[in-house]
Amino acid sequence: MSDDRNHIEPPDDDTLAAEYVLGVLSAVERAEAARRIARELGFAALVEAWQARLVPWMDEIVSVQPPLDLWNRISAALPAERVRSQGLWNSLMLWRWLTAGAGALALASLVALFVAINAPAAPLLVASIEGGGNRQFVATINPGRNTVSVVPAGYANDPARVPELWLIAPGDKPRSLGLPNAERPVALAIPADLRRFATGESALAISLEPPGGSPTGAPTGPVIGQGKLTAL
Amino acid sequence: MQTDARTLLAAAIERTAAGERNGLQTAYRLTSAKLFGVCLRILHERAEAEDVLQEVYLTVWQKAADFDPARASPMTWLITIARNKAIDRLRSRGHASRMEPIDSAVEIADTAPLAEDSLAAGETSVRLRDCLGGLAAREQNALRGAFFDGNTYEELAARMNVPLGTMKSWIRRALQKLKLCLGQ
Repeated sequence: MSDDRNHIEPPDDDTLAAEYVLGVLSAVERAEAARRIARELGFAALVEAWQARLVPWMDEIVSVQPPLDLWNRISAALPAERVRSQGLWNSLMLWRWLTAGAGALALASLVALFVAINAPAAPLLVASIEGGGNRQFVATINPGRNTVSVVPAGYANDPARVPELWLIAPGDKPRSLGLPNAERPVALAIPADLRRFATGESALAISLEPPGGSPTGAPTGPVIGQGKLTAL
Repeated sequence: MQTDARTLLAAAIERTAAGERNGLQTAYRLTSAKLFGVCLRILHERAEAEDVLQEVYLTVWQKAADFDPARASPMTWLITIARNKAIDRLRSRGHASRMEPIDSAVEIADTAPLAEDSLAAGETSVRLRDCLGGLAAREQNALRGAFFDGNTYEELAARMNVPLGTMKSWIRRALQKLKLCLGQ
């Protein structure tokens, strides 16, 4: 083939599809190709085939953690009408907002809100469960109701494992309080035999366990955070 | 990406298609670091990459029902959305993408991915790498400039200091060789 320095033939469809996926087209050519993808099944199939060929090359790109608040920005931009009403207590956005700030103010607002909503008779116990430089969960024990409410904060979901909550009295072994939800606040019932340990002397911890929780009754995975209970 | 992670991701996209925010959030947790890496690689500017990443997940929210696990891996589908958004942004900002000269005589560095960063069917990736390795260095460099830096034909011709027509035939020939080598 001669070195066709300035002679440029229009590409056939397969070549155009490859060029589109490679990313080498100008803005105008890209827009035209995108219109054809939307209209022509045959052309769209050629583009898909090139995606399957070339996109695995993206393996070379190193992952970079986006800023922590980016999910909140996305969540806030989602259209409201598709959100199922979950009530104030279950509003993930609200909890994320309340727990995102690392300061005491966020924790105080959270507790104040909890108090406002639940108006407990007995003093609450709160623990900020922290580890790896993050507040992972915030847990609030309501001795009046024998429940512990667990709210995810900076916890990064692990696809293979689930978080398990442990109550640790001074000098005692960890005792399981159950499996909090990785994505939204839940209230767990405190087993009757553990209620006496739910005091301001004890601490809470979170470990990562296989789905379904620790098979042994003791933590088997890494402890990713802990925090002392504080009476309010 | 492990098979379970892939299944989990496909399920998360399915839940997103049903309008579940948790589905989108799971997809975000599983893929945002990779997709942010993709946006940053193409755009080079953090604030812009963040903007585009946000657009990407809003697009996923809107288009999740279009995802067909029989036709594409979920990661390929997501990366394609991220690449398209990032390249569109690059084109719309008017000024050029990465433009340091590429010396076509220099062999490209071997940049095998970190094991834990490997996302697609590993086998596909290995075969693609072999096929890319079979190309001339200048062809590989030209493809790389387009694929990773988002360069247009004109920009690539300038970076590699060859006429536009030559650049087009290099790339088109390289793409044909790749297709043949991959046998798909």
